[in-house]
Amino acid sequence: MDERRGQLTVKLVYYGPALSGKTTNLVRLHDLLSAELIGDMMTLETQGDRTLFFDLLPVGFAAPSGLVIKFKLFTVPGQVAHDGTRKAVLSRADGVMFVADSQRNQALNNGASFENLAANAASLGMDLATLPLVVQFNKRDMHDILPEDEVRARWSAAPWPLFFASAMEGRGVLESFSALLARVYERLDQEYALGTAHRLSQAAFVDAVGRLS
Amino acid sequence: MIGPLPSFDRAADLEELLRALPPARLKDALDRTIGGGWRIVAPCGRVLKEGGDLGAAATIELTLTVEIDVVGRLVAPAGLRQGAEAAAQWLHLVLAGARRYQMASDLHLEAVHADYEALQAKHSALQASEARYRTLSAELERRVLAQVAVIERTQRQMFQAAQLAAMGSLAGGMAHEINNPIGFIRSNLSSAARYLAQLAAVVEAFRRGDGAQAQADCARFDIDFVLADFDGLLAESAAGADRVAQIVGSLKAFSSVDRAVGPADLNEAVRNAAALLQAQLPDGIAVTLDLHALPPRACDLARLTHALYALLHNARQALAPEGGTIAVASGVAGGEIRIAVRDDGCGMPDTVREHIFEPFFTTRGVGAGMGLGLTVANDIVRAHHGRIEVESAPAAGTTATICLPLEAQAGTGGHA
Repeated sequence: MDERRGQLTVKLVYYGPALSGKTTNLVRLHDLLSAELIGDMMTLETQGDRTLFFDLLPVGFAAPSGLVIKFKLFTVPGQVAHDGTRKAVLSRADGVMFVADSQRNQALNNGASFENLAANAASLGMDLATLPLVVQFNKRDMHDILPEDEVRARWSAAPWPLFFASAMEGRGVLESFSALLARVYERLDQEYALGTAHRLSQAAFVDAVGRLS
Repeated sequence: MIGPLPSFDRAADLEELLRALPPARLKDALDRTIGGGWRIVAPCGRVLKEGGDLGAAATIELTLTVEIDVVGRLVAPAGLRQGAEAAAQWLHLVLAGARRYQMASDLHLEAVHADYEALQAKHSALQASEARYRTLSAELERRVLAQVAVIERTQRQMFQAAQLAAMGSLAGGMAHEINNPIGFIRSNLSSAARYLAQLAAVVEAFRRGDGAQAQADCARFDIDFVLADFDGLLAESAAGADRVAQIVGSLKAFSSVDRAVGPADLNEAVRNAAALLQAQLPDGIAVTLDLHALPPRACDLARLTHALYALLHNARQALAPEGGTIAVASGVAGGEIRIAVRDDGCGMPDTVREHIFEPFFTTRGVGAGMGLGLTVANDIVRAHHGRIEVESAPAAGTTATICLPLEAQAGTGGHA
């Protein structure tokens, strides 16, 4: 929050195992979203399909109070080796989208990546229990994927909203993003009184960024 | 140590981004594109860069953005709008590039820093664990040494105990064996004394010239028998004394009185051990020796006598009370001196054979044996770089063979 310039910057991080479709999520959002402000997608150094640093999609809008709310959507590199980079990107995040790979043979990687998220969050002083977090099972268009009820059964004990998506086909991307926005709003509202001080309701907040073009 | 780092995703700052561009080239490019005076201004109004003279003429302001943030303005004469717009366009591209570079390099630094800290943590954890293992290893070594000392001391005590036990049981048997000849030598001597008195009486009568008395005494004392028996008594007593001497000699060899390590004939050990056992055997049990010439070999003969005695003693224990045979054979085969002690006794199953060299393992009743005989025998033979082979089956007898390499190796000499 930069009071002087009337700006609030919100950092959202797309986390998950390698090749689970984090970058594709951002590419789709760039095409789908119709926020007031939407920047170019910045992609830094890839190797084949793999992100080495991060991708960045900036979007933003102005609240009725004049407060400019800017979102910076980042992806982390999924490969195990880039943990330092992943941790640096995760730091100071206001919300996390965990993008899991639905394919059966990726279950272990999903688990390892989620544990890595929990470990990095803990070392950065972030609490997964209170951090806005949404879990997206991506790649529903692939063959040999875990059925939805099996995924639901496995994650039934987890407190985070669960979404199914196919970023390649654009399905579920916006829905899960909107769910993350709704959770982020609750957190920001507590801190900055978005509803009372800036006359910005949760629905308006989600709609301002997550509206379809 | 790296100081606090600026976060890579901090808000874009025009001044910082411009710093990454070569100032002279930037100015030259803006001069040429706009074709007049210009100014780059931060959001707060501060002039960051300028070129030419804007004069007092009307100006236009074009916003400069990075990502979705307005980071400043380009101010140019209103009359040069086209050039100014072109300049703002390429400035946008250049700033985006500078921003990319800044974020990437700052993120790289942060990541390296995080990796470095992770490595540091891992390193100190490793160091701690290494120190732990080093302490543990030192402690283990100390305990092993202490344990080895205990084992060596126990072994020495065990060896002495076994030796004492063997000596004790020997002493019992030997006392009987020595008493026997002493008994008949004593009885022979008293007979001899009586015979001497009778002979003296005959000689006395003869000297007096009393031939009739002498003749009568001769007949009365049966002097012919006395003379013949006297001879026999002496021969028997001499044999008895020899036997005692022989037993004492064997005992001496056994008791390590003349302990020496040097080339020796192992058959001597066999003979001594066999003599000691033989002295204690009832009539039904025979010990046969089939000894072939052996090359002298450096060894502790007394100790090897012990070992052989232990094997013989065991063979004797395996025999039924009513009798059996023990055969000892020596010879050279396959570069080894081999001394085999074979009995036709009860034999033993494999389950027993596996344990015979273990200390305090015995199949005899409580008090009948310590279970150390074969343990000590094995130790003695191993100290001579040899081994004991045991073949046995229930009811088929047992053959225990001491095998010693012909050439004594360094360190031969037995126990401490």
